[in-house]
Amino acid sequence: MRLGIAQRFALIFAAIGILASGFAGYYAYRASRVLLVRAAEARLLTATRVLMRQVTVAFDDSARNVKLLAGHPLALTALSTTEQHRSAAEDGLAVLFREMARTRPEMFQIRLIAAADHGRERVRIDRDDNGPIRIRDDELQEKGHLPYVYDTLRLPAGDLYLSRAFINRERGAHAGEGQPSLHMAAPIHDDRGKPVGAVVVNIDLAGIFHQLAIDLPDDVRLYLATDRGDFLLHPDLAQAFAFDKGKRALVQEQFPAAAALVDGQARDVVVSTEGPEPTRGVVATFIRETLSAPQREANFILGLSQSKATVLRESDDLGDAMLRIVVGVSILSAVLATLLARAVTGPLDQMVLAVQHFAATRAREPLPVSRRDEIGVLARSFDDMQQQIESQMETLQNKQRELDHLASHDALTGLPNRRVFLDRVEHALVRASRTELQLAILFIDLDHFKEINDSLGHAVGDTMLLAVADRLRATVRAADTVARMGGDEFIVLIEDVESATTASMVANKIIESLAVPVTYRDEQLAIGASIGIAIYPRDGLSTTEIVAAADQAMYRAKLGGRNRYCFATYPGDADTMPLGL
Amino acid sequence: MAIGGLVLPFLFLWTLLTWPVAGNAAADAPVRVLRVLAWPGYADRDVVKGFETRHLVKVDLTLVDSDEALWEKVSADRGANIDVFAVNTAELQRYIDEGLVRPIDVTTIPNTRRQLPRFRDLTRIAGLTRDGKAYGIPYTYAEMGLIYDRNQFPTPPDSIAALWDPQLRGRVLAYDTGGHNFSLAALRLGSQSPFRIEAADWPEAVDELIALRRNVLGFYTRPDEATELFIRHRVALMFANYGRQQVQALKAAGADIGYTIPKEGALAWLDCWAVSRATADSALAYAWIDYTLESHVSRLLVSRQGLANTIDEPPTDGADRRLIWLEPTEDAERRDKLWARIVSGDSAKRVLAP
Repeated sequence: MRLGIAQRFALIFAAIGILASGFAGYYAYRASRVLLVRAAEARLLTATRVLMRQVTVAFDDSARNVKLLAGHPLALTALSTTEQHRSAAEDGLAVLFREMARTRPEMFQIRLIAAADHGRERVRIDRDDNGPIRIRDDELQEKGHLPYVYDTLRLPAGDLYLSRAFINRERGAHAGEGQPSLHMAAPIHDDRGKPVGAVVVNIDLAGIFHQLAIDLPDDVRLYLATDRGDFLLHPDLAQAFAFDKGKRALVQEQFPAAAALVDGQARDVVVSTEGPEPTRGVVATFIRETLSAPQREANFILGLSQSKATVLRESDDLGDAMLRIVVGVSILSAVLATLLARAVTGPLDQMVLAVQHFAATRAREPLPVSRRDEIGVLARSFDDMQQQIESQMETLQNKQRELDHLASHDALTGLPNRRVFLDRVEHALVRASRTELQLAILFIDLDHFKEINDSLGHAVGDTMLLAVADRLRATVRAADTVARMGGDEFIVLIEDVESATTASMVANKIIESLAVPVTYRDEQLAIGASIGIAIYPRDGLSTTEIVAAADQAMYRAKLGGRNRYCFATYPGDADTMPLGL
Repeated sequence: MAIGGLVLPFLFLWTLLTWPVAGNAAADAPVRVLRVLAWPGYADRDVVKGFETRHLVKVDLTLVDSDEALWEKVSADRGANIDVFAVNTAELQRYIDEGLVRPIDVTTIPNTRRQLPRFRDLTRIAGLTRDGKAYGIPYTYAEMGLIYDRNQFPTPPDSIAALWDPQLRGRVLAYDTGGHNFSLAALRLGSQSPFRIEAADWPEAVDELIALRRNVLGFYTRPDEATELFIRHRVALMFANYGRQQVQALKAAGADIGYTIPKEGALAWLDCWAVSRATADSALAYAWIDYTLESHVSRLLVSRQGLANTIDEPPTDGADRRLIWLEPTEDAERRDKLWARIVSGDSAKRVLAP
């Protein structure tokens, strides 16, 4: 398809507009996504820090409570060797433990364990479905071989034991059995500084974190890992405590950036991953923190993640808005481009029209000559050119007319020449055959012209010829044609002849008018003419026939004595008619 | 000017820039997965990788650290979660009894030809065959001797009674398992058949194990855990459930230790690869067994773990060893149940309660 300048301009301008708005929109969309992810990262990091702060506060709180219980005078009494005081102290402590358990739902179990009797439990509050219950007598167990006892008893007063996170497998642990747990314990020393027992609290690890994370939005997932990276809490339950099931599920494997936390090279990391959820296609932050306890077990890694799809939802809205803007701007630029193209091509079209019109009709159309721009210059140049062409055409036409006249008229008399005459006869014959009217050809030859011309000179001859031409013109009707055939021969075409009489009347009038002598330098020169008359259709049907017939009639008139006319045929009458007959 | 020349690159650019970031939509073709259950050190990461690369499969490795855990995992869903696992000859019996393992066609495992003759004649190894069919391919073995701290023992302890020595109270480490500990208690009580505890002898055995519980620092399950406890708590004596594997680990950790076989003899285990009856891909399971018997894999047991393999003769240190190869116990379930109570700290009365 051929495109006009206007369409091309429109397309280019529209393309530029669409490109510009499209690119701007696209990059704004891209930038908005990056910004959103960054904002989400910052938000998550803050949330993780806040959560971490809450966790440490909660742990510090639990630790304070454990130390508080361990420091309670009843605890020491309950561990004393005197049976009598011991029982009352155990009961008192049981009440205290029970109240503590009631107000601290994260504590699965609170126990007082003696260093003596192989780490026998003295007071034990467990939790079952109905709340805290006291375990008594022979249900109490010996725990001296468990690290939370033997490690705690080795701690100095005021220190705190914190175990690794584990799944509780001790038989008889009630609500805590099979649950992710953490042991927190504080030693109890007697007056002489000898460790005599410990208060051991079993903390519900999952509970404490879920409690803290309860305010987090639904789409934010919580992760907890040990300092080695083993997941303790994970949105995918199979990944949590994998090590307890003989497997490893490590934070640094799922989020490689978190390796810096496990190595201890960083305190917090921000991770952004692509792919399917839950561990891919998320924004996540992880923080490593040390709880206020001396053991290495107190290090852990806390993390929050949010699906990128959620984070980027706002950007999708923005993308829609951008798309609408881009489409709008594109349409606008297409319209503007069309208008602009028209403004440029309108005057051009006008000029094209003017040129075409001028070429066809040579009529001048208005041009935008008043414009001050290049188009105005072009229009003015074109206008000048038109004027020039016009004047040259006029000159040319005048010359043409002159030439035409010269070619069709006799130079001396100004009468049509033989060629024009024959042409007119041709046309008259056609008309006559249609109207069924007659026409007459009068062939006139001047008498004695040659003698005058030879004796008196050509100037006299010319004067005579001019006089003859004038008289012939004056004699016939305007519609009839008088022509000079050459020399002293003239010929007259009379159309619409009703009868031969009409022709003879004209011939008589001619003979009469030529009978008057021509005056030349006070000299009277007599002339006369012999006329041959041919009538169509009687004397011939074609131009050649009829002119020849007239010519022959004229010869007969000449032979008949001159100064007379003669019909080509004249049935019933004399062959020739002398003047006045 | 050709408009097309402008419009095409524009469209191309536009398409390029706005094309959605295509997710890796092509779903991974299903990969054959071999589910292996093994003990620490039997299949290190590089070993697993080597197998995965060679067979273009994925190995789902689960580690166990006690016979109880192994039984629990294999018997769950009648073995449907496991393809191949390592189990000692004694434990293997209850798996055969329960129909959890399938007979192995040894000819499908060409590398068995590399094994020492005494490991190739399966009929001569107690517990490996039944009704003329083989159920296990020997892989590694160890005896459970005693590890002692040279600084705390001028002379090596000569009896398992040392585990109960009140002088060592709080400085002894034992292994957290019912099966071996009851056998140990039976040996301590002078039994000639530690795997067969008579009904009348249970209270005595329980008392022995409670006494052991009261004498130890604690009970371990994993070798690395044992090493850490041994060093951190300056332990004097340890029952080495993993045998020389632990000796190697402790020496690597810088402990000055000795290893001895007590006069009562040392319980010894021979771990075999067994194939789950429920496996859907026994060919891959056989390929795994065959792979572990290649010398570069089997020798890692020696070089890395200090365990013995079945293709090379172990260096003899001249010691006169009395090895008591594990046998099926009279009631593994009962041993497990009572042990769980003992280790939780219950009294003898509650331990023996029904």
